[in-house]
This record gives sequence, structure tokens and C-alpha cells, in this order.
Amino acid sequence: MQTIKIALLCTPVLVALGCASYPDQPTTRNIAEKMVSEAYPGMPPVLVKRSGQDRSQQICSKIGEMTLSQQEAAEVAQAARTSMQYPASGKLMGNWKVGAKLAYDGGGSRIRGGKVEKRKENGASCSNCHLLDPREVNAGNVGPSLAGYGAQRGNSEAIAKYTYEKIYDAWAYFPCSNMPRMGHSGHLTPEQISHVVAYLVDPQSPVNKK
Amino acid sequence: MAEPMKIRATLQGDVADVRILMLHPMETGQRKDAKGEIIPVHFIQSVIVTHNGKTVLDAQWSQAISRNPFLGLRVKGAKAGDKISVTWTDNKGDKRTDEVTVAAAS
Amino acid sequence: MLKLRGGIAAIAFICLSGSGHAADPLAVGRQMLAEDNPGDLWVLRGEKLFHEKRGPKQASLEKCDFGLGPGKVEGAYAQLPRYFSDTDKVQDLESRLLTCMVELQGFKREDIVKNRFGNLDRMSDMEALVSFIGSKSNGLKMSVSLSQQKEYDMYKAGEYIFYRRNGPLDFSCATCHTENGKRIRLQDLPNMTDPRQMQAVVATAWPAYRGTQSTVRTMQHRLFDCNWQMRLPDLGYASDMSVALTTYLNRSGNGGVIDLPGVRR
Repeated sequence: MQTIKIALLCTPVLVALGCASYPDQPTTRNIAEKMVSEAYPGMPPVLVKRSGQDRSQQICSKIGEMTLSQQEAAEVAQAARTSMQYPASGKLMGNWKVGAKLAYDGGGSRIRGGKVEKRKENGASCSNCHLLDPREVNAGNVGPSLAGYGAQRGNSEAIAKYTYEKIYDAWAYFPCSNMPRMGHSGHLTPEQISHVVAYLVDPQSPVNKK
Repeated sequence: MAEPMKIRATLQGDVADVRILMLHPMETGQRKDAKGEIIPVHFIQSVIVTHNGKTVLDAQWSQAISRNPFLGLRVKGAKAGDKISVTWTDNKGDKRTDEVTVAAAS
Repeated sequence: MLKLRGGIAAIAFICLSGSGHAADPLAVGRQMLAEDNPGDLWVLRGEKLFHEKRGPKQASLEKCDFGLGPGKVEGAYAQLPRYFSDTDKVQDLESRLLTCMVELQGFKREDIVKNRFGNLDRMSDMEALVSFIGSKSNGLKMSVSLSQQKEYDMYKAGEYIFYRRNGPLDFSCATCHTENGKRIRLQDLPNMTDPRQMQAVVATAWPAYRGTQSTVRTMQHRLFDCNWQMRLPDLGYASDMSVALTTYLNRSGNGGVIDLPGVRR
């Protein structure tokens, strides 16, 4: 009874009367950010930092549809472009066999009991979201299929560079894309990314075989 | 251990469809603990199902049966109100018996 | 009846009610799990724990108020999370159980939190209690209502956090849960902006028996597990952030007819 009464009274017009209603955006932001800052009690500060946001992540946290203004898109793309780092060797295409292992490894960098999992290196998790080797059944579809990636595009230096950058920091090309900025955060090293590039682009890679 | 089972027995004609859920770790003896030591085998060794006191199933299990096992069986010549009793015994001597009455088909 | 020795000699039949789905080889297994869910054993255990006098105060949980008055468990889960005046907070089921286990039974909060999630060596009381209380809303529709200001705040905060990108992989909940027909490897992902899909989700999870975990898992565990995959630190048990997300998601599933515990991989 009481609940119905309150619901009827609380139209936006009557907010001034002090009825309960949805908080506005700035208030929501304050409440939520405070919650996030208190959500990881007892965790080492360096790990809690992961729940912080850089400027690009803030822009990309649109509620509902991901509609960016031209300025926002430009800002995110520019930040991504500036962040690009390349392998010391200058070789953007590594070994596709190493890339194959990385592509199907979905682990690394996860935290349990306040400790990061002990591993030699992080996996690239590609298969979690993408189809790569066309014979692979255990592949996700959050991202587009990459089967035949190199076969379709060739393996020129330009394609290798584009592919490398797309993995290092996808937001340089698609601001706020669902694709993680693998190199930007250090989740993958430049060398690791070069191996994944080879897995996608090398004509010998299973990705490009029927 | 010896947590209660969940048993249901529904009549289909003159056949009781019996479904049993058990709670048991069914340790294979292959798992290692945090210190790297083998966790000893601990599994249900025998399952006996009786229908109005007469044994209809006498099974010998091994550690190959999964954790929290499920057992299903059909008992011929059953009537509503008949008693189905299930007893499991494990390799540590732990025992559990639960009983259910055959329910008429709904 | 002959005594049958040596292995399982009895005829273990698979009872197929209705037509079999030859096209879907998993249909039979799914149906069997739906009919005989190991999670039911957690309900039994939870019921026992609920009525048992436990803790330093040697009290049962029969006087715990889940929002409908002390001891009223029927329908309680369906209206959680909600605001509680005694704690002046919005609480989900697990948060409220923590309150009651500490206040009524005298348990230490840290001890309960330490054992909140069961493992292969030790069962969790929380998982059993959540299964029991959840099951007492079976047949009812999820009906999270917003009337107190903190409930509105919680809902909006949950929505904000749902879309909040962070971590080394730039994930938010929205990254994986805002499109139809998506899956991570072979794990289907519900679109949480679709009320119909949310109704289906809240109907049978969480709590649900998880085969890969050999135990019933709760909503708090689901959020904890997602946090783990998002490369974030251990999510605080019954933290405001977790209750905010639960408020947002459960309300999105309002109308879903509850049938707990469910079964998941």
C-alpha cells in the first residue's frame, strides 16, 4: 500500500517535495565511484589501481549506446596513437607457431587471494572472442571472425603494421571498441603481439589454410 | 560426512522410476593438497537398494564414480506406498540410509 | 528379485518425458539435470542450518528479517535487494544473512567471509542457506522494487558500474553482456539489456549448482568470478558495489518466475 502511494507521488515534478527518485548523473557518479573505491578491501594498492580509469576509459564508459562526439572519438584515438610501442627488433611479424599458442591461451594476470597468478607470460585470449583457425570449434563470437585474415589481406608490411597496431591499441582505429588495448596495458609485450600478427598474417598459418 | 540423500520414486504403471542424489566427495586419490601431498581415496564402495525390504540392487562402486553421484534405476512390480530404501557405505566405513515411499503417478 | 552383484547391474534407465530432441544431443542431459539437481541437496542442508541453534549465541536464523518480517522466508528472495532500516543500507540476500549470522548468532563476520565459497575440501554454509532461502521464492516473480532513496541510488550506481570500463583489458560488464547471440568460446552470454533474457536468467540463477565447481554458487560468487576474469582484484564479499550490481540486474529481470536452485556448467 505504502509503496504504491510513494510510487504515484514521485513524479519528477514532485522531486522538490523530497520524494525518493533516481539521483542525477553527477550524484550517481559520486556514489558509484565511492563504491568502486571501497570494493576491494585488503587488496594491495597496486592491484586496486586496476579498478581506476584513465581518461579514455572514462570517455568509453557510456551508459547505454556507445555514442561518441567527434571530439571524444578524436581524443581517444589520439591517446591510443601516442601510446603505440613497437618491438625493439623492429620485426612486426614474429613466429606464427608461437602466436598460435598465445591465441588459444586465455589466462594470465588474473588475481586470487590478492596475488596475481604465477605464469611465465600472459595469454592473448584471442579465441575467447574470435574464430581464427577455421577448424577450431571452441571459439567465441564477441569479435568478428578472423579466419582467412592474411589470405584476404595479404602479408605486406602495411598489413603487418595495421594488424600490430590494432592489437596493441585497437582504440587508435575504433575508439572505445570492445577490443582490449592489449599492448597499451602491458597485458601483451610487443614481441608477443608480433607472434600473434604472424599467426594472423603468415600464409603458412592455419588461420589462412582451408 | 554422511549427508542425507534426496530420493524420489514415481510410479509408471507397475514400474517405480527411482532417482537418487547423493552427497559424497568421491576422492580419487589422485588429487594433491596445497602442500603437494596426495589426498587419500574416499569413495562410496557399496550401494544397496531395497524394495519393501528385498534387495533389488547391490552395487560395488570405485573411485571412478564422480563426486556427488546420481543413481537412477527402475524397479518392476512396484505399487504406490511401497518402501524404497537406499544405503551407501564408503571405504572409511561411513554409512548413510534414506528411505522413500513410492508415489502414485501424478 | 534376484540379487545382482558386481558393478551396477540394475538397469539405469533414462526417463524421457515427452519427445526426445534428436537434433540436440545435450537435451536429454539438460532435462535430467533439471529433474534431479544436486543443488537440491544444498536446499536440504540450508534448511537444516536455518533452524539449527548455532554460534556463540546458540540461536537459529528463525528470527532473521529478510524484508518481510522476522522469520518470513517465503517470497523473501524475490524482493531482494532492498533497503533495511535497522542497518540503514540496501542489502542483498548474502549481505542480510551476514547481518543475521553476526547479530543473532554471534558469529564473527571475518569467519563467515573466509568460508563464503565452498571448495572440494569444505562446504560453505552460505551456499546452503542461500539455496534454501532462494528456493522459498519458487513460483513467484522477481519483484525488486524501488521506493527508498537508497534503493534508487543503488540501482543507478549499479547501472553506472555495469558500463564502467576498467582493468588491463578495458572490460566492463557491458563489453560481454549487451548483445544478442554472443558467446565467449562456447559459453553463451546473456544480453542483460534485454528484459526477456534477464527474466530467464534470474529465474534459475543465482544460486545454481555449477558442475565445474561441484557446489552451488551464488550471485556474490558470480560477480567475484567475473571480476577475476576482468583481471580485477578479489571483489569484496557483500560490498556495496556487488549489491548495486545485483540491484540493477535483478530489477532488470523483474517478472521472471523463480525456480531455484538452477544448474550451470
